[in-house]
Amino acid sequence: MTSRVFLASLAFVAATGSAIAADPIRIGVPVGLSGANSVVAPSVVQSAELAVEEINAKGGVLGRPLALDVADDGSGAAGAQKAFDALVFQKKVNVLISMETSAARNAGLPIVARGKTPFIYTSFYEGKSCSPYLYVNAWVPEQQVPPIVDYFNKEKKAKTYFLVGSDYAFGRGMLSFTKSYIEKTGGKVLGEEYLPMDGSDWTPIISKLKASSADAIITSTAGGAPNVTLTKQLRAAGVTLPYGNLAVDEGTAKSMGADAAEIYISASYVTGIDSPANKTFLAAMSKKFGADLKTPNDLSVPEYEGVYAYKAAVEKAGGTDPQKVLAALSEVSVDGPRGTIRMDKQRHAPLTMYLGQVQPDGSVKVIQSFPNVDPGAQCPPKS
Amino acid sequence: MLTVALDTVTTAALLFIISSGLLIVFGVMKIINFAHAAFVTVGAYAALVGARLGLAWALVLLLAFGTGAACGAVTEATIVRRLYQRPLDAILATWGLGTVIDQLITLIFGREVQFVQAPITGTMDLLGIDYSAYRIIMIAAAAIVAVVFTGLLNGTRLGLSTRAVIMNEMLAQGLGVDSARVRLITFAIGSGLAALSGALITPLSSVDPNMGLPWLVSAFMLVMVSGGSLPTLAVSCLVLGGLQVIVSTFVNPILGGLTIAICAAIVLRIRPEGFARA
Amino acid sequence: MPEVRQLSQATPAPIGVTDKLWVAALALLIVGGIATAPLLLDTYMINILIRAFFVAIAAITVDIVWGYCGTLTFGQSAFFGIGVYALAIIFTEYDFGSWQALFALVAAVTVAAAVAALTGWLSFYPGSTPLYASIVSLVVPIVLVQILYSGGTFTGSSSGLVGFESFELEFDNWFRLAGLSLAAVAVVALIVMRSDTGRLLKAMRDNDERCTYLGINTRRYRIIVLVITGIVASLAGFGYAAVGGVAAPENASFSFGTRLIIMVALGGRGTIIGAVIGALSIEVASAYLSGSLPYVWELIIGIALIAVILAFPDGLLGVIKRLTRAVQPTPRGAATRLRPIAAAAANDKASEVAIEVRELSKHFGSLSVLDDVRFTARRAELLSLVGPNGAGKTTLIRCLSDGRERSTGFVAIAGHAIDRLPPDGIVQFGLGRKFQAASVFETLTVAECLRVARTHRTRPSLISASVNLELPPAAISVVERSSLADRLGEEARSLSHGLKQALELAMVLSLEPDVLLLDEPTAGLTRAERQAFADILTTLAARDRLCIVLVEHDLDFVREISSRIIVLHQGKIALDGSVDEVVNSALVREIYTGQSTVAEVVP
Repeated sequence: MTSRVFLASLAFVAATGSAIAADPIRIGVPVGLSGANSVVAPSVVQSAELAVEEINAKGGVLGRPLALDVADDGSGAAGAQKAFDALVFQKKVNVLISMETSAARNAGLPIVARGKTPFIYTSFYEGKSCSPYLYVNAWVPEQQVPPIVDYFNKEKKAKTYFLVGSDYAFGRGMLSFTKSYIEKTGGKVLGEEYLPMDGSDWTPIISKLKASSADAIITSTAGGAPNVTLTKQLRAAGVTLPYGNLAVDEGTAKSMGADAAEIYISASYVTGIDSPANKTFLAAMSKKFGADLKTPNDLSVPEYEGVYAYKAAVEKAGGTDPQKVLAALSEVSVDGPRGTIRMDKQRHAPLTMYLGQVQPDGSVKVIQSFPNVDPGAQCPPKS
Repeated sequence: MLTVALDTVTTAALLFIISSGLLIVFGVMKIINFAHAAFVTVGAYAALVGARLGLAWALVLLLAFGTGAACGAVTEATIVRRLYQRPLDAILATWGLGTVIDQLITLIFGREVQFVQAPITGTMDLLGIDYSAYRIIMIAAAAIVAVVFTGLLNGTRLGLSTRAVIMNEMLAQGLGVDSARVRLITFAIGSGLAALSGALITPLSSVDPNMGLPWLVSAFMLVMVSGGSLPTLAVSCLVLGGLQVIVSTFVNPILGGLTIAICAAIVLRIRPEGFARA
Repeated sequence: MPEVRQLSQATPAPIGVTDKLWVAALALLIVGGIATAPLLLDTYMINILIRAFFVAIAAITVDIVWGYCGTLTFGQSAFFGIGVYALAIIFTEYDFGSWQALFALVAAVTVAAAVAALTGWLSFYPGSTPLYASIVSLVVPIVLVQILYSGGTFTGSSSGLVGFESFELEFDNWFRLAGLSLAAVAVVALIVMRSDTGRLLKAMRDNDERCTYLGINTRRYRIIVLVITGIVASLAGFGYAAVGGVAAPENASFSFGTRLIIMVALGGRGTIIGAVIGALSIEVASAYLSGSLPYVWELIIGIALIAVILAFPDGLLGVIKRLTRAVQPTPRGAATRLRPIAAAAANDKASEVAIEVRELSKHFGSLSVLDDVRFTARRAELLSLVGPNGAGKTTLIRCLSDGRERSTGFVAIAGHAIDRLPPDGIVQFGLGRKFQAASVFETLTVAECLRVARTHRTRPSLISASVNLELPPAAISVVERSSLADRLGEEARSLSHGLKQALELAMVLSLEPDVLLLDEPTAGLTRAERQAFADILTTLAARDRLCIVLVEHDLDFVREISSRIIVLHQGKIALDGSVDEVVNSALVREIYTGQSTVAEVVP
């Protein structure tokens, strides 16, 4: 799979490179080709490829073509160290645009700072990561959690909750925000359980959940395998409580098949968004990848928009100088499948959130939408 | 508490199925096959292929067993055969083989996690609680494995030869038993069992190139503690598996994952030959 | 003043001035290279090499424990991880500062030492097997990683710890620091491994039992080695985290531990240099290749490992050595000079009791192998133990030399009760045991084997391989008579069977024992060798007043040299008397031919 990706990138760079004979702008994409994120990584790479192809077809950025360098970060800290090192110091990329697990992101940030490379983080995460080199165009808990909890409170009359997550920065960060939001809105958390990121046996946790008689369950695992194993085991154990999954994307939900039905998700992107921009985007993806298309999802679409955001910033800054680009990133906006997005709130972006429910066929039905949800004070300036 | 008890028995059943293949190999050849985890993965992917081809579940399991057995036979003939005098090196070589198999699977099937639908979904109402039907099936599966292989060992000529080789290989050879053939068949069967267990556990978890690894160490420790006897293995799985479930449920699931390894290490310190009575 | 006899002629001159110059030049080259490399290499390569240097230090520790001591250890990564996390946790909890750095260093060292000591205690106990030690080494990193996972925000769990402030050092200087540390560790390791202590470790690897029966407490040595290597690996991890700024569970994992073993195996185990080459090559290649071909690279490693284990057990370095040896064969080691030590003090303890056995029994369940055996043997006696197969002769020898063997009864050697002592304790009382199958150290030279045999009398040097070998006269006479004297520089595995037997006898005599136990020593010897052996034994008994107990089947030999014979039959003493009594006894004839008549037990 990845060798094909690599070869495709190579071929594609060669093809477009010959069309526009100029020094390419290199975009580094460190992503979890192996490990917990390996389920979603292919879709992220596809988004990046489409964006780069479209931009190069229109003449590139300031006359220079874009080139992609994909590296495997193993979905973890140790792998990220190596991937970031390779991209920043060996391939000498101009920018990093990618989604990663929080473990990987945190390990990569010091390298980003040393290499003075802008990093557009396209993954939803637990919030409050504030490197001056980091821009985020995906959601944070302040945007994602309230829709689900409010819905469970009002429509499902849920008073007690059970929280399950993967034991790392993201899992803990999301659930700690969720817990305080639940308590703020009058609910009670009966249990909060974690497994390590690569754990796959949720049996004792599920037994605890059943014993607690909670009204609803909210989970925040690492993307990919943990989501799947947890859901399968929950269903196998006959759990039919209202189930809010803070970390599943449409693609994974589709591959879970019938087990995913009735899961509630809160996302900034669903394939069902009814806008011209989204329809054009989906058509273009379909055309480019055909049968190999991985369902665009809340982890991969921000990647597409991230590349465009970088293009806009470089054009505004008049070049790839990191400090100028970083300043420009908070001023430019992108019109993409998720609407108009500008990372102007302390390097994070207000987003339109959709509360959806997974259908038996794997698609997501939108129940409610919330335009322009503010990310809150993610990185307050030090006064 | 019934849930905990059921969790224990089903976990023990799972562990038994996965470890039995390793035990058979260790008992006959005194070699630890570190590629066992890879064979589990092979079985899971065989099940994936079988499911995609639309085969009936029984055929899928048979396909998994057969694929594993074939891989095992090739492994024994090419690698393991040369390392009987060097058991520690055999551990390393089979670990290398495990890596090779994992990478080949990745290159063929891709890195992504894949899924196989369970043949039986939903729960059963057991004594007042709802429990996963598929997990309960595991108990039956483990029992079948135990019965079939005990039957093989005690009721067939091959089994007799195998037991002879286990007890005293040189004497068995002197009496005309083709110990090389016994070893080949044993290794193939052990690997087939590993693959079968992989196919059986896929509906409960996911199918990815690294799925076998977490089971390897637990299976290894259980085999060492059982000292080569299938009934003792069943008991060990129940006792240690039970401890694991209890610790996971009442203390911490993370520490629970450690119980088997630690308890086994301590047991072996006190009683190096494990629990079996030779 | 004992005369120094130079007995070996075919060995080369000791290390001379030219060799020392070469070594100095090489050292200068390496240090100079490390100091200047940062100016020549690009940033990426420097980053990779810094990390690779620290990993190589860990690989050296794996080589010492596995290549030299013979324990296949998956656990050195745990010690590396302890160093990594000690630094990361302290700097995260308490920020960065000089007392924090010192505290972290102390923590890294003490925790690693404690865990290593515990691991050693668990792995190396009397009766443990190398497989069990491997198992324990497997469990340690797994347990550690799970502990890290369950540590919540304290250890960062699955994410690990990042963003902590660390030492302010330019990357170029980190390179020099790491490189010089690696060079220093490698040099120290090489010196120690080439010294007598290193030979001792290899002896323990080759034949642990023989070492125990030479009075060497192998458990203690192994635990000490584990503690020291654990500390070194922990310091390597400390450096790794200090420069990288990241602590992840992968740094302590079983996969990383296996990775270290692969590096040592591919480079060449038991050579130190092999570990360094393996580690550096794999780290650098992995950084460049795994980005573009992650799966193919791992595949290559897996295949390489299998190939190395099957076909090239000595790794890359082994292949190179074999090629260069074909070009220029070099005999090993400096000339060894044998030097006799003063004979033991006056022998008026002529009729002192050497062995005392009372009510000795050994049974396996309901099967009784030895039943109420009792006898006393004195110095200068040459006692032969005979009896048909299965009578319990070797079992009796085992019960005399290992306090844990017998089920009940009392045994005293040279006046000391052996209780439940292991063999190395009993050797201290003056016991020497020679095994039936020549039990020597295959990969050591004859001189080195003898040197190891002297360990419990003279502590081995940590820095040099001794040139002078001091042996008691009895051992020297065996060496000279058997022509081993001409082969001091040859590896033991290339000796003929008879010479191996002689070597083992010389090794046992090097213990200066008061009591000598021999198990079928003439099996497989030629007539001439047997005669030589008979002479040696009788001299030992008569001149040196040893008490010798001999298990033998060759009744002519027994008749010729013994002063007394004990006949064992079905675990009981059937007859205990002089040669004439026993040889002419009808009972003995019955026992050997199996014709049953009334059994007469002569007390």
